[in-house]
Amino acid sequence: MRKIGARKLVTAMIAVGILVLASACSSSSPNASTAGNTEISADTAGTVRVLMEGVPDTDIVKGLLAEFNAKYPKIDVQIEPIAYDQIRDKIVASFQATDPTYDMAIIDNPWMGDFAKAGFLKPLDDLIASTANYDYNDFSAPLRAIGEVDGKTYGVPFYNYGLGLIYRTDLLSAAGIAEPTTLDALAAAAKSLNSAARAGIAMQPQRGYKAFEEWGNYLFAAGGSIYGSDGLVHLNTPEAKKALNTYIAMYKSSAPKNSLNWAFDEALRSVSSDKSAMMVSYNWMLPTLNKKDGPAGALAGKFKLATMPGGKQVLGSWDWAIPANSKVSDAAWAFISWITSKEGEAARVSAGGAPARTGVLTDPAVSNTGGGAEYYATVGKILSNAEPLCKGANCDEMINAVGTELNAAIAGLKSVDSALAAAEEQANKIQSE
Amino acid sequence: MSFRARMMIPLLVVFVAAIGYPLISSFVLSLTNYRITRRDETKFVAFAQYQDVLQDHAYWSALAVTGTFIVFAVVLELSIGLMIALALQNQRRFRDFSRSFLLSPMFVTPIAVGLMFRFLLNQQLGAIPAILEKVGITYDFFGPGRAIYSMVVIDVWQWTPFMVLLLLAGLESLSKQPFEAAKVDGASPFYTFRRVTVPMLAPILTVAVLIRSLDASKVFEYVYAITRGGPGTETQTIQYFTYQTGIQFFRLGKASAMSYLLLIMVISLVILLFKRIEKARLVS
Repeated sequence: MRKIGARKLVTAMIAVGILVLASACSSSSPNASTAGNTEISADTAGTVRVLMEGVPDTDIVKGLLAEFNAKYPKIDVQIEPIAYDQIRDKIVASFQATDPTYDMAIIDNPWMGDFAKAGFLKPLDDLIASTANYDYNDFSAPLRAIGEVDGKTYGVPFYNYGLGLIYRTDLLSAAGIAEPTTLDALAAAAKSLNSAARAGIAMQPQRGYKAFEEWGNYLFAAGGSIYGSDGLVHLNTPEAKKALNTYIAMYKSSAPKNSLNWAFDEALRSVSSDKSAMMVSYNWMLPTLNKKDGPAGALAGKFKLATMPGGKQVLGSWDWAIPANSKVSDAAWAFISWITSKEGEAARVSAGGAPARTGVLTDPAVSNTGGGAEYYATVGKILSNAEPLCKGANCDEMINAVGTELNAAIAGLKSVDSALAAAEEQANKIQSE
Repeated sequence: MSFRARMMIPLLVVFVAAIGYPLISSFVLSLTNYRITRRDETKFVAFAQYQDVLQDHAYWSALAVTGTFIVFAVVLELSIGLMIALALQNQRRFRDFSRSFLLSPMFVTPIAVGLMFRFLLNQQLGAIPAILEKVGITYDFFGPGRAIYSMVVIDVWQWTPFMVLLLLAGLESLSKQPFEAAKVDGASPFYTFRRVTVPMLAPILTVAVLIRSLDASKVFEYVYAITRGGPGTETQTIQYFTYQTGIQFFRLGKASAMSYLLLIMVISLVILLFKRIEKARLVS
């Protein structure tokens, strides 16, 4: 047998020692870039403050904190619920502070591009890749795309607010109308269901975000798109004109009278109080409307969710993110990875939360306790073919500019052609700055 | 340093801290292309932002909307407020109750008032359209050509009591002799009002109109709660437009320039107004 030199033996022993040491370190460090086999240490500690919108999904997350703390007893997650309109200004101030007020953030999809490019958020790719059993690809692809900016991931999907058509099954059935699968069929159905006592469809043409968010679904139903293959906004198209003309016709013939400034709250109240037969709204409104002690009262159970005619719809989402100036990013990631893990997602969705992972949609344990198998099947279809209103930077401004032009056309202050031409021009100018 | 100058020091310190510093720093901001999400790209652009604002059609449109709102709101508040103040001055019974009741709207926070009227005037859900429908009237309160005037009505509902407060205090501070002399001379109530009350009340009226106009120029909450500036841009007031530009769209440099231009316009108008008042006082 050939003798192994002493020097070589020592070198080999040192190498083995380094490997053992590296392995030991990586198993206790959540930030090590190993191939997804890192368990976040239960000793991870810190106070994690987060501002969240005062919606049911936030209440559900709060309800799961005890379970989280059973695994991570040293992490104190402090959730501050607040109205939507106040969130962004507060977190932007925190992002720029030397001593941040918030250690974790939820980011609405129009803000993602601006915040990522401004350096407000920490890239999460390494954390995602290193966390054991995370299976990031289980999240719906359109939702994953929202959190990705310039090739890096800055947000992990929290919950989706993809839109769909919510309608009264009893009214459609009584009128002999099938679930609309084309834009023209939707217009016809709304007109048929319209009466003095009840509008055919509650619409949300309020200037700005709401008008664009609702009309975007009509655009997709007409076979159109917001962006072209060149990455620019293209709204001065035949499909967009058809969509806007149809929208305006439906507003005049089938929507509640004098509802030009209507937004989400008005449409919900109209539908839940039997004053409108349908609405285009967030998919998770269905379980809310069908809840026995919910806002729809005696109408509970009579609502159904469908994809928009044509199968494509507008997508919105909230993402979990870690501010770049967070001083407890380990603890923040421990919480984010826990709440968005397959188990955390199943617990959240079972409690009524809006799904973000695709696996949970076909999990019988979830569908039996949550919104029902049929609802989750529809949500799966919605998430598989959905797109946000805006990609890239300056989204708030772009959405507002387009929504202003749309509202002007709906109000009759501008022609459809000039409104769409102006919307396209302004959107591209804003996004090129 | 004289005693008077030393007594001014605390005021000056507060002024510099609370008003001077923000004024100066926002002016500096207006000379840059500062955007909250692009701080690294900030550079000095001199008066380019001012030029951009002055050439922005949306800015002038917002000013026109605000001007319309101020004129209609203040004229109505002055007229109705004066009538109510005169009635309250002559009231003998239940004075405290009626004054408390009439003044209560101004103690409600404006955003709550906006939300309240958003649903009160809702065609399907609101009480007012329901009452109007019973008499065969359907009115689109927030439709094109009407939304700004509905906002005026909301402002009149909330801020006429403020006018009442000022004018009532003014009426009660007027000397009684001219009124007694007019009565002795056989002057009619309308003549007394036109020739005695109004001239004596003129300084109070001026101050009331000025304060209310400055306040009305800041209208934001009703727009935010109800129309978000629509239909189109018919209710996009200057404060809402500035808020959107600076806070919602992150363009703080441009928003600062907008605010400074508005400040210059308002100060110029106030100075002109006081010069005219002084001139009229000297002539009289």
